[in-house]
Amino acid sequence: MVIAGKSDEATLIRDARRVLQENIREWGMYIALLIIMTIFTITTRGVFLSSRNISNLINQTGYIAVLAIGMTLVIIISHIDLSVGYLSGFLGAVAATAMEFWHMSAPASILLIIILGALAGFLSGFLVGQMKIPAFVATLAGWLGYRGALQLVTMHRGTVVITNNAFNAIGNGYIPDISFLPDSGFLAGIHQMTLALGILIIVLYIISEINRRNRMLYHKFKVSPLHLFIIKMVFMSALIMVITWILSGYRGLSWTAVIVIVVVLLYHFIMNRTNLGRHIYAVGGNPEAAQLTGISVKRITYIVFCSMGILSALSGILYASRFKSATTTAGTLFELDAIAAAFVGGASPSGGIGKVSGSIVGALVMTSLTSGMNLMGIDISYQYIVRALVLVAAVVFDVATRNKKEEIV
Amino acid sequence: MAEKIPVVKMCNIKKNFGGVQALKGVDLVLHHNEILGLVGDNAAGKSTLMKILSGAYIPDEGEIFVEGKKINMASSQDAHQHGIEMLYQDLALANNLDVVANVFMGREKMNLKLGSIGILDEHSMERETERLLDRLKIDLSSVRLKVESLSGGQRQSIAIARATAFNAKVTIMDEPTAALSVAAIKKVLDLVKELKAQGSSVIIISHRIEDIYQVSDRMIVLRQGRKVCDTEVTGDIDTFREHVVAYIIGARDDYANGGGKQADGNCR
Repeated sequence: MVIAGKSDEATLIRDARRVLQENIREWGMYIALLIIMTIFTITTRGVFLSSRNISNLINQTGYIAVLAIGMTLVIIISHIDLSVGYLSGFLGAVAATAMEFWHMSAPASILLIIILGALAGFLSGFLVGQMKIPAFVATLAGWLGYRGALQLVTMHRGTVVITNNAFNAIGNGYIPDISFLPDSGFLAGIHQMTLALGILIIVLYIISEINRRNRMLYHKFKVSPLHLFIIKMVFMSALIMVITWILSGYRGLSWTAVIVIVVVLLYHFIMNRTNLGRHIYAVGGNPEAAQLTGISVKRITYIVFCSMGILSALSGILYASRFKSATTTAGTLFELDAIAAAFVGGASPSGGIGKVSGSIVGALVMTSLTSGMNLMGIDISYQYIVRALVLVAAVVFDVATRNKKEEIV
Repeated sequence: MAEKIPVVKMCNIKKNFGGVQALKGVDLVLHHNEILGLVGDNAAGKSTLMKILSGAYIPDEGEIFVEGKKINMASSQDAHQHGIEMLYQDLALANNLDVVANVFMGREKMNLKLGSIGILDEHSMERETERLLDRLKIDLSSVRLKVESLSGGQRQSIAIARATAFNAKVTIMDEPTAALSVAAIKKVLDLVKELKAQGSSVIIISHRIEDIYQVSDRMIVLRQGRKVCDTEVTGDIDTFREHVVAYIIGARDDYANGGGKQADGNCR
């Protein structure tokens, strides 16, 4: 594919342009994230990219990111779930009440609200899958109901302060550091465990990319030229390294980040490697066809909404533990952030399309906007308008690039 | 015909929808290695009859025999088990998935199973899909192409390939040539002939009598829920068409008296 000897630079630019055009939809969100981060870094004179802010940003993304993953699945099967924000707030308040007033341990409270979340998801699944009520209406009822429930739980006491340290560590703690090097002063003050993990992730990333490329070559798909492939890998590795380095400079990898990474890997695996994921995509692509081939659309609807409920509980845990309290306003507008994150991350409003990895990038875009604009001191009213514009841009972008088909040799 | 027992025999099938009698006692016989055309006007009962055979509807009355054995056809799973596959009019493919995923939709091969959830065995599904497409002489550059990037004819081929993937004895096709270009229609009809050459039996529902004429051995005409004609496909296309159309529109209706009855398609 590489024609040796020819003016390399011109070829390189041409190849780069072609590859970019072909993968514009997938790369669009990465580019958007990069642009947003660059703008904020400039406008805040580097504060945005500081170790402390990036670390905070990742922790803030956590509770939206887990919702965005669940929401992506819901959107893939052409539904929507508006109830998740207040459900997450309500479940967080239940966990706080369980620990503070019912004297339950942190793990028991967490288990309790995860079960409650699954039940709430089951209820939505029943309304949508069994009773055939449009998801918009069914989950709008959930939105109202859980909002009421949240106010009921927090009514008498107002804010419930959580004093359980183990629980609060989930949203505020960092992984312990293990020094790999003798105490020589080299890399002093650097979180070495985080650095080691970063290197491990890079190695795994490179291996998986090479495997993917080989598989695509085997199936005679057009792949990007080797030099571009190497440039891409170097670039991505450098990016991971920079993020790792920034995090290592503060307090290392947070438990929130670890939880999000585990959830991402789990859902990525389910969606891409198991029959369950395949069935979810099939139901999204053509529910009649899926039903005719023996896939139960009802069962898939139940499973997807239950997973959404469980992830809402997880989001509630992350939020409550981060702020060490449960408040009456917890969870407000989370559902819209999650939906926006899913769309920015490439989920298609018409169903059948969406990626777990995309929803994480989408969530990062949405929280970067909030965080950056907060740092700049922009008024909240303008913040909403900017976020609205980004959401519209993402969906317009999706529609505009939808018709691009995969090209083959 | 070497085997005397027909592969499918449906006797006196009746089906009501509310007050409407969609089928008023229809008999149908399909022999081994035979292509049977099923024609009729809209609402003649063709699709209803085929949905009964594929287990999607349960008949109010009547019996179904597969290779001489009486079958209680209660679901499409039952039909699968007896080697009957239906190919639906509205292309039952998921456009967002690739060819392999579509061929194996609902019956994925798995490496490791935990309850009903398991890890996909992509490698063996890929190889099997390649083999299947090879066998049916369907030409694709890659089995990992998304279905949405294929042409109408290619998609119909994939749908047919899927229906026949799991050693179906009988493949039912509902309007397989509707909404296809001339070249694509030829491809689909070639595929039907290829299926016959490999020993399968096929029932084709179609509005296009030319298509039936080209590939079928025998043809049944339904009109208002009754069988009005059951004949070998013979003669030249024009006289054949004239003969058949007369039955479709009801200009001739002499089946009960022995007219249009040239084949042994009855239960009595």
